Amino acid sequence: MDKKSFKGYLYLLPSIIIMVCFTLYPLVRAIIMSFLGDYSIINDSYNSIGFENYKALFSDPDFGKSLINTAIYVVCVVPASIILSLLFAVLINSCKKLKALFQTIYFLPYVTSVIAIGIVWRWMFNSNYGLINYVLSIFGVEPIQWLNLPEYAMPALIIFAIWKSMAFNILIFLAGLQTIPEDLYRAARIDSTPRLRVFTRITVPSLAPMIVYSSVIGMIGAFKVYNEVFSLFQGKAGPANSAMTIVYYIYDKFYNSYKYGVAAAGSVVLFLIILALTQIQLKVTGGRKK
Amino acid sequence: MDIRIENLTKTYGNLNAVDHMNLSINDGELVGLLGPSGCGKSTTLFMLSGLTTPTEGKIYFGDKDVTSIPPEDREIGLVFQNYALYPHMTVEDNITFPLINRGMKKAQAREEAFEIAKVVKIEQYMKRRPSELSGGQQQRVAIARALVKKPQVLLLDEPLSNLDAKLRVATREEIRRIQQEVKITTIFVTHDQEEAMSISDRIAVMKEGVLQQYEVPQTMYLNPANTFVANFLGMPEINNIEIDVKGGVISADGNILRKGASLADGHYKAGIRPESFYVDENGAALEVSNIRMTGRDLLLFTKLGSTDVRVLVHSYMQIGVGDKLGVSVRDEHILVFDDKEVLIGRF
Repeated sequence: MDKKSFKGYLYLLPSIIIMVCFTLYPLVRAIIMSFLGDYSIINDSYNSIGFENYKALFSDPDFGKSLINTAIYVVCVVPASIILSLLFAVLINSCKKLKALFQTIYFLPYVTSVIAIGIVWRWMFNSNYGLINYVLSIFGVEPIQWLNLPEYAMPALIIFAIWKSMAFNILIFLAGLQTIPEDLYRAARIDSTPRLRVFTRITVPSLAPMIVYSSVIGMIGAFKVYNEVFSLFQGKAGPANSAMTIVYYIYDKFYNSYKYGVAAAGSVVLFLIILALTQIQLKVTGGRKK
Repeated sequence: MDIRIENLTKTYGNLNAVDHMNLSINDGELVGLLGPSGCGKSTTLFMLSGLTTPTEGKIYFGDKDVTSIPPEDREIGLVFQNYALYPHMTVEDNITFPLINRGMKKAQAREEAFEIAKVVKIEQYMKRRPSELSGGQQQRVAIARALVKKPQVLLLDEPLSNLDAKLRVATREEIRRIQQEVKITTIFVTHDQEEAMSISDRIAVMKEGVLQQYEVPQTMYLNPANTFVANFLGMPEINNIEIDVKGGVISADGNILRKGASLADGHYKAGIRPESFYVDENGAALEVSNIRMTGRDLLLFTKLGSTDVRVLVHSYMQIGVGDKLGVSVRDEHILVFDDKEVLIGRF
């Protein structure tokens, strides 16, 4: 190593130290912990080394449910949020005068505390006084016990999460819409393109990079869903654990059941799922560029 | 399709981008809208296309008033300065796009696209994306896309400004060829006088929104309506000098340029093109202060009295800096303007 690159590494040192302490070391520790039976975080003791925690994890019906719930959550929230955000972004963008106002309004959920939003949505979902049931009652729908019945817990969570994640996506798409040259739309006009075709053949393809980006970020984020569950169900995972997600399961095992090894095993599984997904997405997006 | 523009005006705030413009274009003509940037030439083009709505005035295509007809119904083809090709579509999809929008079957659209692609000579690139083509090829695709719907009028906004110098000359000839082959009334915008003169049937020169002159290129070059047109056309630029006339004798700073001119006595502004001088031992003596070799010609920087004057001579002439050169001006090559800078005549 010559003197110049030594100096360079010196500049990187602070961030390397922080990364090693707070990312790399915990990661390694978590992986090790997941192989230690009956591990205690207090006196660093364990009974056995092996796959005990993983066996416990995969035989726990709650973990199975959390996997399924998380999968349903990802499959529903990410595409719905992207499609809705795209429509809203185009609408906001076409409204030249009030654009700045709408842009701010739609971005509010992103900068507001999830807990605060959760309280508002709890009220909206309230079966007796809630806004959602009121609107539904106009169409003759009987009041729904959104937050009290296990079968409605996931739908409520998904509706809440779609609304919340739209803020970021709309921002990304609005930024993307600014980069589409005005001349393309003028050309489309001269070419007498119907409006729907302008959207599907010009706007959407031009936004393709942003859509890919949003779905990657959205999917990784959705796999790690926890805040939304915590805030909507006041620290629980819904009635009868009906809205249990992977991260919530890990949290529960660690802080409530003190099963540190099982919690570590759960996070390793989540880590592998996200790693695999990122790899697939990198391949797909890498292929697009070529 | 004949085009008639009547009193066309476009106002942005207090600014008249185009100011009461009148223009008639005959069917099949190639007209160049020429002027410096901000003169309103592009605004005029966009009003013809319908993308910009005029503040005042009328546009007629044939006998039909199209002023309030939207662009998609005007039967026009428009080529944008940056081509505005759809980047994610192949060349073929770009060209068939306007046809399919109008409900044409895909197979027939492809056939027609291929026909027009042959005219602009891009038929071998049909499966490529615009980003895989050179600037000149992209330009042709844009022209093909504009022509494929068989419009009555073709509009081109600065068609050559994004091309390098060599390609520019070749492409302007191509535009002329395509225009003649398709026999379509064409209007193009340019700030390059050479470009405008070389391919236009007629040129409309604009300045600050006002049409200055609308003429056949040669006539305009020889008889510019005013000093602005005289200065805008021609490279190297015309020499602006002050002349005095007394008893038919035209002189500049005491150097006699012409005798027997039928011009009232007085002080005038005049223009003499660098190529209007010829070497003449008996003429005014100029001292050469600088020389530029341009290829066919030598451009001499000299002084006529106290005024800087550029003179073009053949490049085989042996002359050096500091040498004296006697020159006269060819007959009818002194352009004389009145105090409003309008051409009085050639002397």
